[in-house]
Amino acid sequence: MTGQPGLLIEQLEAAHGRSPVLTGLDLTVDDGALACVLGPSGCGKSTLLRIVAGFHHAARGRVTLHGRLLDDGRTRVPAERRRIGYVPQDGALFPHLTVAANIGFGLPRADRRERVGEMLDLVGLEGLADRHPHQLSGGQQQRVALARALAPRPQLLLLDEPFAALDAALRTELRTEVAATLRRAGATAILVTHDVDEALTFADTIAVMRDGRIVQADSPNTLYHRPADAGIARALGEANLLRSKPADRHAITAFGPLPLTTGTEQDGVVMLRPHQLRMTDEPSPHCVRARVTACLFRGHDHRVECAPEEVGPDLPERLVFYTPVPPPPVGSQIHLRAEGPAHPLHTEIASAEAEAVGS
Amino acid sequence: MRTLRTAPGPLPLVAGLVALLVASPLVFVGLQAAQAGSDTAHRLLARPVIGTLLWHTVALTTVVTAGTLVLGFAAAYLVERTDLPGRRAWTVALAMPLAVPEFVHGYSWVSLFPEVQGYWGAVLVMTSSLYPLVFLPVAATLRHTDASAEEVARSLGRGRLATLWRVTLPLTRPALAGGALLVSLYLLGEYGAFAMLRYTTFATAIYNEFQTSFDMASASLLTLALVGLALLLVALDARAARRGRVVREGTTGRGCAPMSLGHWKPVAAGALAAVVGVTLGVPVFALVHWLVRGSSTTLPSASIVTETATTLGYALSSAAVATAAAVPVALYSWRRPTRLARTVERAAYLTRALPGIAVALSVVFFAIRYAQPLYQQPSLLVAGYVVLFFPLALTSVRASLAHVPHGVEDVARSLGVRRIFVLGRVTLPLILPGLGAAFAMVTLTASTELTATLLLRPTGTETLATQFWIYTTGLAYGAAAPYAAVMVALSVPAVLMLTRRTFGTRTTAPREN
Amino acid sequence: MSRVVLRSARRCAVLATAVSLSALALAGCSGSNDSANTSSDKASGGSLKGQAITVYSGQHEQTVSALVKDFQARTGIKANVRSGDEAELANQILTEGPASPADVFFAENPPALTTLENKGLLAKVNSSTLAAVPSTDSSAESDWVGVSAREAAFVYDTGRLKAAQAPAGVKDLAGTAWRGKLGIAPSETDFTPIVTRMIKTEGQAGAKSWLEGLKANSKVYGSNEDLVAAVNRGEVEAGVIDHYYWYRLRDEQGASHMQSALGYFKQGDPGALVDVSGAAVLSHGRHQAAAQAFLAYLTSKPAQQIIATSESYEYPLAAGVKNTKVSRPLTASGPVAQAGDLGDGKDALQLLQSVGLL
Repeated sequence: MTGQPGLLIEQLEAAHGRSPVLTGLDLTVDDGALACVLGPSGCGKSTLLRIVAGFHHAARGRVTLHGRLLDDGRTRVPAERRRIGYVPQDGALFPHLTVAANIGFGLPRADRRERVGEMLDLVGLEGLADRHPHQLSGGQQQRVALARALAPRPQLLLLDEPFAALDAALRTELRTEVAATLRRAGATAILVTHDVDEALTFADTIAVMRDGRIVQADSPNTLYHRPADAGIARALGEANLLRSKPADRHAITAFGPLPLTTGTEQDGVVMLRPHQLRMTDEPSPHCVRARVTACLFRGHDHRVECAPEEVGPDLPERLVFYTPVPPPPVGSQIHLRAEGPAHPLHTEIASAEAEAVGS
Repeated sequence: MRTLRTAPGPLPLVAGLVALLVASPLVFVGLQAAQAGSDTAHRLLARPVIGTLLWHTVALTTVVTAGTLVLGFAAAYLVERTDLPGRRAWTVALAMPLAVPEFVHGYSWVSLFPEVQGYWGAVLVMTSSLYPLVFLPVAATLRHTDASAEEVARSLGRGRLATLWRVTLPLTRPALAGGALLVSLYLLGEYGAFAMLRYTTFATAIYNEFQTSFDMASASLLTLALVGLALLLVALDARAARRGRVVREGTTGRGCAPMSLGHWKPVAAGALAAVVGVTLGVPVFALVHWLVRGSSTTLPSASIVTETATTLGYALSSAAVATAAAVPVALYSWRRPTRLARTVERAAYLTRALPGIAVALSVVFFAIRYAQPLYQQPSLLVAGYVVLFFPLALTSVRASLAHVPHGVEDVARSLGVRRIFVLGRVTLPLILPGLGAAFAMVTLTASTELTATLLLRPTGTETLATQFWIYTTGLAYGAAAPYAAVMVALSVPAVLMLTRRTFGTRTTAPREN
Repeated sequence: MSRVVLRSARRCAVLATAVSLSALALAGCSGSNDSANTSSDKASGGSLKGQAITVYSGQHEQTVSALVKDFQARTGIKANVRSGDEAELANQILTEGPASPADVFFAENPPALTTLENKGLLAKVNSSTLAAVPSTDSSAESDWVGVSAREAAFVYDTGRLKAAQAPAGVKDLAGTAWRGKLGIAPSETDFTPIVTRMIKTEGQAGAKSWLEGLKANSKVYGSNEDLVAAVNRGEVEAGVIDHYYWYRLRDEQGASHMQSALGYFKQGDPGALVDVSGAAVLSHGRHQAAAQAFLAYLTSKPAQQIIATSESYEYPLAAGVKNTKVSRPLTASGPVAQAGDLGDGKDALQLLQSVGLL
């Protein structure tokens, strides 16, 4: 089914009281896709989710699911008739009901027994049907919340930072598991989060949200490597921003000419991800000399911060790179070269952000 | 994360209607007071006695409220956080003064200890009869609150007293504030006990105005001044509640090891026994004394069974209606904590400070004009009780809603369940203990109500309280005693129900991982 | 929140709902009876038998039930009695206005009746009824009729005072000799008439200084019941009450426990006061004839006899009926002030308020 537009949001506007929260938001989620809305706290992503769920009202714009109008600021479908599942941050299990009763809550009585069994299987909680929520661990509670939301076979599932309250190890484990579960169930889902790792590992599509609108939506890979502006670049991970001059499908930078990810370029700024910088033993023409200022061992690699020695207009005050090889101690001099294509960013935003590169 | 909820269908309308009904006595008092000319107003309010009454009212309200807070908190702390044996028995015994009607409290003291009167008499009697209103919610909070904060405080090198003062006390602030509001509003409107104790307050002056001059305009004018005091109290409570917002029941609630009293144990037990002896022993002794000593005990008592059934019927019906009416108001302000919702909720509390006679006359006024077929019908008395005791129900419902996780209603709707069924399947079951407490509280209070009962009951209907009143006004205390005894006996189950909330298991099962 | 709490609370709530529903049903039944009664009297042209009137009564409950029972046996008219505090009942009638279901108001004191009279809420009492009692005991406007009476008295602690030490007049009680020894119940409707009389004899200023003296000498009680009991247990030496409170207390405590006695003020003294209980027909009542019949009955010999022998210890007013349970005959006071003279007591109230007793 993947490919058909499922959820279509056009020019959505909404407010809390008098303060505007969403300002002309567009988003498309294909059927069977796992989409992720990524943005900092307070950017309006929970409000977006609550409008889709039917708990908050749009002021203007349209929200449609499979061509069915859910909300256009005037008429709206009540939450209970949307067939959209919802998993809030704390799970919000019904504390007075058992696991089985929680999962069976949205099911007609006749199907309850069978479907609850299926869902318990799906989330791997067989044998816990008669427990009460307070007798479950945090991870189990979230699994029950997921099973409860999936049980009535919703057309769309909304997950509002469902892993935020869990510890790191459990969070990683559970989000992989949930993504797998959702793919197995063939569900269309939207996850809202401020955690970029979560977004990258979970979603087929990531929509980056800023100031009440989606600024870019694409596959994780495209977004990571080809962000539209510096803000998006930084939202997806650390980035080194360099001033560049265009020259025949190349960018002339402090690291010499680098190929561009996209063709058209003018004066501006290009991005290099930390893994695109390498240490070299010997100085070479397109090397940058730098001094190590900080180093962090992360198990699989090292994250190194260094300060270029010939500070010029083309280089930032700080560069960041990752290396599997142990770097020399802090204070040592190293040489760096760049690999792979540089990605050009929109100039006006990029120059404003160039100061804070790599932070 | 605070989120706005959707427009909740007919809920604002229902909540508004309930609030309007409950606040109608304020409208009545306003209408009547407006009929008093400025001359009358000046003559009434410029009297030197007004200053005295104001001082009396404020002094009494302040000291009794403080007294109930100290007594209620201390008793709850001893019972819930120390190794004092017999926790359940103490809880029941300490809550039991609620089962004794105010006028029985008042008369028992006056008849056994004539020197108990005036300011300190009123302080003693009111504190000893009202402290359970603080004790019960505080004990419940201590029982259900995670003790880890207190343990952390100890581990940070704070002594027991410092922990008590800086951690435990703030933890119970919302419960203390709620109890204090009920106690102080009650004190503003109380008449009977003060008349017996020969202490004058604004409320007794208002009764005198009604009783001796039949001048509703003047009485209403004085009542407005009382409403002003009540507004002040409600505003104070709102501030205290805001500051106490952070406190919530821990889902991982664990009990800390009870504090060992050591050789203070007999002292603590003795102190609690003294409280029970004073607050419960005196009225019980007085009741027995009348039953045995009063020669009018031999008067042919009217069928006490009929009056008991009538009293029960009215008390239970009004408790059911008041509890049901409190749900939309509490729910509205829980779902949408807007200024309007808060105002609606507050208005309901103000009525509690009105003297019973003002509320009763207001119900007469509106019913005979706009609901004539209901006038002096049983439903009117039920309506009167609901108006009078709505705040009691609201307090309990509001307290239990505060512990419902936000979001469960949304989730239920997203699972395709309609709003009305969400209420039945999720929200109401979750606040059931609160509904039970509201029901018990109103039953308890309504079964001993007198002033409004006399004015609103169907002609010929007698309740235990009216029958008690008839005999006591004829000085036939012996004949009245059985009615008081039955009133106390009827209230016992309600008090037991109220103590249940503190009986829940102290700890929930530890989380598995 | 534990399962235990939820389960037990649910059980309680279910039980309570069941009980309250049945109670509502029960209450509903009794309600329909009432409405049947009040609407039964449309045509009052024929016999009054079978009619039902509503009596708002602030009078002694046991006495009124005895009266009503006898009345019904004699006339076949049913009287539904609504007993309450007379002041609250008067306020209720005022609030109800023309729609009041009351046919008769039976009060303990004239001011309540006079208040309703001044508001034009009372019908004229039949002249034959008025003729049955001395004209001074009824309203000058014929709006209400006196039914029974009681006398203001001086109650004193026999352990500390001798009969000879009783004051000659109520005026003496303001003297410094009584400092700290007296009790009064100024919020009681029985007290106001004494103040009214004081204003009449001493003038506004004189009455005020008398009240101030009295206030300085006295402990203030909320009711006459409390006051007489306080004198009897020696809390204060003496007080001013209506005589019947002492007799009712004697009934309750037994004659052997009485540590107090009654004295009376001398003839012509403002404290030598007979207080009248009266009854009136409400002008908007729907059963005028039956209500008039009830008033006629109250002043008749059989009713007066019931009053004379009841536990309310009031004096009957009809000629030829005597209360033998009260040691002193009513006529011993000699001529007393006309009940109607006491008016609605407004001046007295304002005076009481201005000296801070109310």
